[in-house]
Amino acid sequence: MLVNVPGPWSPLLGRLALSEIPYTNPILAPLFVVIVLAGIALVAAITYYGKWGYLWKEWFTTVDHKKLGVMYIILGLVMLFRGFIDGLMMRTQQMLAVGPGDNGMKAMGAIHGYLTPFHFGQIYSAHGLIMILLAATPLLVGIMNIIVPLQIGARDMAYPYLNALGLWITAAAVFLIMISLFVGDFSHNGWFGYAPIFELAYSPGVGVDYWIWTLELVALGTTLGSINFLATVVKMRAPGMTWSRLPIFTWSAVSANIIALTSFPCLQVALALVGADRYLGTHFFTAGFGGNLMLYTNLFWLWGHPEVYFVILPAFGMISEIIPAFSEKPIFGYTAMVLATFAIAGVSWIVWLHHFFTMGMGPYVSTEFSIATMLVGIPTGVKVFNWAATMYKGRLTFSAAMLWAIGALFLLLIGGLTGMMLSIPAVNYMVHNSVFVVAHFHMMLLCIVYAVFGAVIFWFPKVFGFKLNEAWGKIMFWLFSAGTFLVFFPMFMLGFMGETRRLDWPFDPHWAVWFDVQEIGIVVYVLSVLAFLWMIYVSIRDRAHHRVGADAWGTSRSLEWLTDSPVPFYNYAMVPHINARDEAAWRREHGFSQSRPDHFAAIHMPNNTGVAVYIGALTFVIGFGLTWRIWWLTVAALILTVLIMIYRSGKGDPGYVISAEEMEKLDRESRQNMSDGQQHLPKGGGYTGGTVTAYSAAASDQRPQGTPPGNSRPLS
Amino acid sequence: MLKKAKLSHLRYLAIVPLLLLLNGCAKHSIWWIFNPKGVGAKASYDYMMIDVAVMLAIVGITAILIVWFMWKYQKGKNRGTYDGKWEHSRKLEVAFWGIPIVAVAFLSWAVAIHGSFAVNPYNPTIITKHMKPKGDPIQVDVIATDWQWLFIYPQFNNMAVANELVVPAHTPVFFKLTSTAVTTDFFVPQLLGMIDVMPGMRTKDALESNNLGTYQGIAADYCGAGTSWMLFKTKVVSMADFKQWAEGVENNPNTMDYAEFNRFAEPYINVKDKTPVYGHVEHGLFNHLLLEVMDGKKWPLPMFMTENMFHYLKLQAAEHRA
Repeated sequence: MLVNVPGPWSPLLGRLALSEIPYTNPILAPLFVVIVLAGIALVAAITYYGKWGYLWKEWFTTVDHKKLGVMYIILGLVMLFRGFIDGLMMRTQQMLAVGPGDNGMKAMGAIHGYLTPFHFGQIYSAHGLIMILLAATPLLVGIMNIIVPLQIGARDMAYPYLNALGLWITAAAVFLIMISLFVGDFSHNGWFGYAPIFELAYSPGVGVDYWIWTLELVALGTTLGSINFLATVVKMRAPGMTWSRLPIFTWSAVSANIIALTSFPCLQVALALVGADRYLGTHFFTAGFGGNLMLYTNLFWLWGHPEVYFVILPAFGMISEIIPAFSEKPIFGYTAMVLATFAIAGVSWIVWLHHFFTMGMGPYVSTEFSIATMLVGIPTGVKVFNWAATMYKGRLTFSAAMLWAIGALFLLLIGGLTGMMLSIPAVNYMVHNSVFVVAHFHMMLLCIVYAVFGAVIFWFPKVFGFKLNEAWGKIMFWLFSAGTFLVFFPMFMLGFMGETRRLDWPFDPHWAVWFDVQEIGIVVYVLSVLAFLWMIYVSIRDRAHHRVGADAWGTSRSLEWLTDSPVPFYNYAMVPHINARDEAAWRREHGFSQSRPDHFAAIHMPNNTGVAVYIGALTFVIGFGLTWRIWWLTVAALILTVLIMIYRSGKGDPGYVISAEEMEKLDRESRQNMSDGQQHLPKGGGYTGGTVTAYSAAASDQRPQGTPPGNSRPLS
Repeated sequence: MLKKAKLSHLRYLAIVPLLLLLNGCAKHSIWWIFNPKGVGAKASYDYMMIDVAVMLAIVGITAILIVWFMWKYQKGKNRGTYDGKWEHSRKLEVAFWGIPIVAVAFLSWAVAIHGSFAVNPYNPTIITKHMKPKGDPIQVDVIATDWQWLFIYPQFNNMAVANELVVPAHTPVFFKLTSTAVTTDFFVPQLLGMIDVMPGMRTKDALESNNLGTYQGIAADYCGAGTSWMLFKTKVVSMADFKQWAEGVENNPNTMDYAEFNRFAEPYINVKDKTPVYGHVEHGLFNHLLLEVMDGKKWPLPMFMTENMFHYLKLQAAEHRA
């Protein structure tokens, strides 16, 4: 014991005790039973069908960027659902609790509504942390994982094993936050935490410790991922894929990962210092003994604001892919789009102070950060105008993916309008910490969610070889949009009525009607979740009827649409030569769509490995041990992790080689497997520049990737 | 428990748009941000309107254009001409960068710079520039605990009132604020904007209102389990009424020394909305607490304090604090 924690502690179990398990809680105890039964059913089903070997060999130990991406997306969707349930509970609490009088549910120990402050605080904190770091981030990282290597014509990420490690460490964070439901409690202090309320004196439970280690693990996973993305894009582009031909989504991935790589260490340091305060008794962020509580807020948002753009920029990239494909036009102002992306990324570093204008830093500093914040509006405005101009003179198909992308545009407009209001200190003082801010950032985060749903529908056929059901995709879109309007329009109104954030008990009875409207919105959201699940079910059931060819939409533009659908594990049988910015559109125009490589070369692929899973499991144990202060467990897991890392480093991975003959066979099979569903599809136009080369004869996998176009010879 | 009365207000949903209009005319509006009654809040409102007007012009036109393009260029309708290679226009790109640059430049000058000085909490020029040489401003020391407010009036026998703020109209009121526990925000939506209240730190804010009335004050930043109940009514009264009220409070035999404050600052959720008054508070309490907290003084929270609120209320009663 390094500091005196309140409550008992034993060397064997740390702070863990039976009383920490909320088995008397009327919500958590039944939920626990349901989850355990569901878990048993799942395990039994997998065992019955004998799928453990398949899961282990094909999924858990894989280093294939597409499978890892799919697992990231599944993880993100599950956590999106968990976060949504948290949101539902908060809305219900405020609807029940609003106004004076005794309206509490005695069985839950609440004097207003059905949740006590003890539980409400945990729910909104978990909601925020989950939605931003364990739902949005895995969803975006997952889509980047699948699409970025395909868009640049690479066989895999630069470091396939590191990629798997990133996934399993993120999964460890997910398990840690999920177990906080049933063992102990979670932080009460919001997803970003406050100084000094997260100090031991004001948060004596293990909640803040769960929060620290969950965040640290996600930060670690994401940092590893960002190194990988940058290395991949810099070093592994196919011949002819010059920087000026890089698809916009890949550009946005580059900018986002530069932000992630440079900003996440800031969070890790800030949280390590919080940990030092709580575990070692230091005074970094305490009010007394020379600590500086304002320093924490600065350090956190120094990461926090770039993080916000780390999640929005890939979403912008997705919109930039979907709108041109369904407008049958190239993106308007490619260069301006790239510049705008990097302008947003750059400015993200100098605006963090606008998260706490109310700290009283004086008008000179406020003004400077206010103007810096407004500068973000310029490149964002350019982006919106460019998307609108892309639709201008187009041939617009309102498929489900396009609807989600256009929906994201409108949310961005509302978010931008309200964001410009918040960037003004004089205005900010009135609405900071009110639900107006909550509504604003939900507009931005839902812009991401819309883009993600659009991207999932858009790229699903590329990964799985069949389309998702369009009709149900559209039904889900309209339900989700109705839910968004019904929940967040009242939230803006409540902000103007002065309701502040995080009220366990909203005291003003005038707010009641708006809470009721929000609750209806939540019910509509529930329907949209059901529509989503039904869409997935229907699509899988009817998959034989919706098989697609390489170019699933017939109007797609970038490189990934050249390879087979579903994408074979080696991505491209022969590395393609890039001739134009929109390679797929260019080949379609020039009649190269059907061209296949006429010879094959041996390729080198990485081996699967279970090491990433083991290290992920051990990081979970480390996080759990630290949270409960079980020192022997933490140290043992840490030593084991290091030993495994040394073992893996010593052993290395020589990978394996697929011979040219085998590649020819694999390619033939993959081609036969894919339906040629392209004849009936529309043909989009438009391309930019380039010389005629389909596949690079010289570009085999034995040579370094990213050969300049001049060095490769045309295919005869 | 979900009561019948709860369900019954669902029927009001049908008249939500009507309510919106009606509320605009109501005397005591529930749209606090749109009905500022303080000089500072009014200035903030005006800046907000300028900002919204400029931004709405751009955002609104963009939204209309997008909808128009969606209608005109829908595939198969042949309303507009298709040009699948149009992807660049120098004039348009200049406009696309130019419009937001001009808008941001204007807003920076007109709203960000001017506004930051006008409602600067430490020296709001919107209040200070009109200050009469003779009109004595009122000084109020604000101490936030877990989870109560203590308002001390140094000019009036160092009297104090908890969880209620009374100020005279037409008079600048200057606040010094600190906290003994954690960070929160001092906020009266209709009168003045938020300012952080931090332990071991002193922040400032100022208020002037020309509208008599009672306004809701809120602890706007989450500061733990009692945040929702950490409310205070702010009464703006005429100077004569204020003096009369102050005289009454000054004569109150209830006083607060440091030992009494130590008990007051123990974590306490003000569920019953109590507003005790103190005729006199030990001199220098504000500065003393500032230093105490900087020296590491804490009023720690017990574990699981609000896991069951009924249990907590029983404890409150047992400690004679209910």
